[in-house]
Amino acid sequence: MWRPSNLDRPTGMFLGLLVLSLALVTTDLRASGEGLGSTLRDGAQSVFAPVERVVASATRPVADFFESLSNIFSLSSENRAMRDQVSELNRQLQETESLRIRVTELEALLNLEPPGDLDWIAAQVLAVGTSEFDQVRVIDKGANDGVGIDMPVVDEGGLIGRVVAVTDTVARVRLITDTTVHIAVRIERTGETGVLTGRGSGPMVLELFNTDAAVVEGDLLVTADGRFPAGIVVARVLESARSEVGFSLRTTAAPVAGLTSIDFVKVLVFTRDEATVGELEDQDRLPDSPSVDSGTQSEGDSDEAPETTTTTTLGGSAP
Amino acid sequence: MKWRRLAATIVIVVIAAALQTTMFARIRPFDAAPALVLLVVVAFARHLPPEVALLLGFGAGIVQDLLADSPLGLWALVFTSVAFFVVRVRDRLEDDFSLIGPFVFGVTAGGLALFAVLGTIFGEKTLADAGIIKKLLLPSLYNMLLAALILPFATWVLGAARRRSSPFQL
Repeated sequence: MWRPSNLDRPTGMFLGLLVLSLALVTTDLRASGEGLGSTLRDGAQSVFAPVERVVASATRPVADFFESLSNIFSLSSENRAMRDQVSELNRQLQETESLRIRVTELEALLNLEPPGDLDWIAAQVLAVGTSEFDQVRVIDKGANDGVGIDMPVVDEGGLIGRVVAVTDTVARVRLITDTTVHIAVRIERTGETGVLTGRGSGPMVLELFNTDAAVVEGDLLVTADGRFPAGIVVARVLESARSEVGFSLRTTAAPVAGLTSIDFVKVLVFTRDEATVGELEDQDRLPDSPSVDSGTQSEGDSDEAPETTTTTTLGGSAP
Repeated sequence: MKWRRLAATIVIVVIAAALQTTMFARIRPFDAAPALVLLVVVAFARHLPPEVALLLGFGAGIVQDLLADSPLGLWALVFTSVAFFVVRVRDRLEDDFSLIGPFVFGVTAGGLALFAVLGTIFGEKTLADAGIIKKLLLPSLYNMLLAALILPFATWVLGAARRRSSPFQL
């Protein structure tokens, strides 16, 4: 017959620690990002940030060496790709300039005020998550610098993620590729709206509803009005797709921001409260998709509801 | 002396976590990095008394949890299980890299797979990750290679080689 005394001491201790771990997990999950777990995490991040700074500067020569080593192999192909990109960008620049003039003329004609630029805070990525499963970055700016929960974070390419935790000196950013993140997007070419979902790594999944227009490879996806300001570039469609009758259109898109090599980023000073986000999503910006309305929380995490109090009405401006 | 070794072990776990989040954010061959904290747990659990090894696993897991985005306690559960497994099988292995290498590979892959499964059970959608196989195998491979460096280092820190014919024997 089995008795507790049959267990040797290490096994008993192992089982005790397992139970303790499970209790911690359930407590933290029930707190939904608040409570003891959140406090401990913020405290640990504050204490650990100086250690990370020291280790990062001490190991910089090693990291530089390995980075330059890997760069040697990719340099020639990168050079070729960048030449192509420069000529393409030159062409786009000319197009954009003529469009800008046209927009200014139309705005003047309609007596419209152009949308103001958002304020932003420059920050450097201090650290990444502790495992391959963490889609987070720690930046070196916190509440003391004006960074707040829910603020969008971008780099020169486009949207990277949003701030999910802030201490006085550092902030944690959840990347758009996290599997719990859903972003309301608009195809720039056609104006169709849909939802972009992260898959941890690799391309993201784009789902469009009620669309007759086909999605073409290379189509640019920008944020629709919602938790993020409208017009931030998010991703580029990887595969062309056409919707079938009665089905939603589903394809893949690659983030435009350099998520794997983030160095300097901009935190946009912009937050919307839950009510405003809800109102916007109830409008026809997000189609009446059951997966968005009932199952998950668009442009955020399905399992957390961060509290924001500031309502900013600056919309329609790209970073 | 005993306390000095314990303090050294704690400092090494903290440094490993800092290296993981800073240096290995930049050194990422094939877009993956080693699971350094897990490797440190394996390396030290080979030599420490069973209870201390389990506490080390739990403590290192809590450190990783506090710096990660997963629910608090998930990595603690995984690292405690890894430490327990290492404590149970360490006497059956020789101090030979041809055996230890695959052992480290298997333990790392098993630990990460356990995290992926538990993460999915607790709503983290870890298994939904498109690159899940790569995220399990590449860190395991890198850990296997780094084991040639970290395992002798742990043996040296704990002074185990001086006292034992084989570092796997307590």
